[in-house]
Amino acid sequence: MSNRWWEIVIFCDPVLEESVFWRLEKFGCSGTATQIKENCPLIKAYIPEIAVRLLDLAALSLWLNQDAILMEASSPQIQWHLIDEEDWASSWKQYWQPTKIGDRFLVYPAWLEMPTEEERLILRLDPGTAFGTGSHPTTQLCLESLEMRLYENAEAQTIADIGCGSGILSIGSVLLGAKKVYGVDTDPLAVKASRSNCQLNQIDRQRLVITQGSIEELMEESGHQAFDGVICNILAETVIDLFPLFDLCTHEDSWAILSGILLDQAQAIADIVEGQGWTVAALWKRKDWCCFNVRRSEHVGKRVRPT
Amino acid sequence: MAKKVVALIKLALPAGKANPAPPVGPALGQHGVNIMAFCKEYNAKTADKAGLVIPVEISVFEDRSFTFILKTPPASVLIKKAAGIDKGASEPNKQKVATITREQLKEIAQTKMPDLNANDIDAAMKIVAGTAKNMGVAIAD
Repeated sequence: MSNRWWEIVIFCDPVLEESVFWRLEKFGCSGTATQIKENCPLIKAYIPEIAVRLLDLAALSLWLNQDAILMEASSPQIQWHLIDEEDWASSWKQYWQPTKIGDRFLVYPAWLEMPTEEERLILRLDPGTAFGTGSHPTTQLCLESLEMRLYENAEAQTIADIGCGSGILSIGSVLLGAKKVYGVDTDPLAVKASRSNCQLNQIDRQRLVITQGSIEELMEESGHQAFDGVICNILAETVIDLFPLFDLCTHEDSWAILSGILLDQAQAIADIVEGQGWTVAALWKRKDWCCFNVRRSEHVGKRVRPT
Repeated sequence: MAKKVVALIKLALPAGKANPAPPVGPALGQHGVNIMAFCKEYNAKTADKAGLVIPVEISVFEDRSFTFILKTPPASVLIKKAAGIDKGASEPNKQKVATITREQLKEIAQTKMPDLNANDIDAAMKIVAGTAKNMGVAIAD
């Protein structure tokens, strides 16, 4: 039989949170996990089954109640039950399975063995701290948009990925054949994750350059060249702030993919895009989110899928 | 990237020593968060605070990625440090194990202020004083 743990659950007045932590630490619990429910902390603490007896748990309950009385707070609700020990270091992986995105991509968790035969482009990811695991609607919409934008003439296109997160869109662009991709993110952890995922996909660092910073750093890193395409999947507010700078890093035939935008923010984005003389070529929606495919020129000659 | 928080979890952990055992495993595993990635980042960021408990607030997003911010140590840890003791009293209602000054109490309350459910310094001091009392630590006037 596997080891078991007592899970002690305490729902208490917020003023007791600090005191409860001390009492649990004294009881032998190494750490606590707290979530707020109905404006009050729901604290969970754990101790191995063999470390305490039921009488000890009852005594803990008495102490917690006494602490509440001394602090003139209402009595906490206290429960305990046994849970089986799991391989927590790897059980979270059950939530991650290979995921088909669009017509061409298969996002593949890093720890799974590579399939021997697969027609799709395999995009390997080690999900970590950085946003962009392939399971969010905006990431999926951006990958699908890239499929459209890089359907033809990919090898001639240089792309910028602003707010690259895990690097999923930068890597996706390279897998679709882009000539060169520059990814940038203000978060150092995202830069680290992007570089690591880049290695995981065995992508030449000359072809995918990841830099910490924003558009200014991106332009500097690329020698102030005009990008053929710009991807910006962050948040509507950030897209609104950054879009005026797009004219500085693109040419007259450039395109952009804008996402991280909630449906009710779409009009504000369309106003900014059109106010700057760009054209909204397509607006794709999924769940509460949308993705803009925009281009700088007025002409209509490129493939655009209906929404 | 587009971030919508699906869970906000606070963990109080020994600095530099996070591992997949409870409370980290059960708290984060149910949200599909990469537990080893969290432990690695937390330990790296708290390695210089060994010996202290450093709470961390983790925001889990829709795509199971996450960010976290470090919080101030629990009041009991700061009280023990101020009082120069390793542990509190076993029977605090009968036994006083140490004393801290009102000035020290105020200093702890000020440190803890951003993370306490208190509107002003007096309310924060009241919470810290209550915790000290429960630990058997007296406040000298």
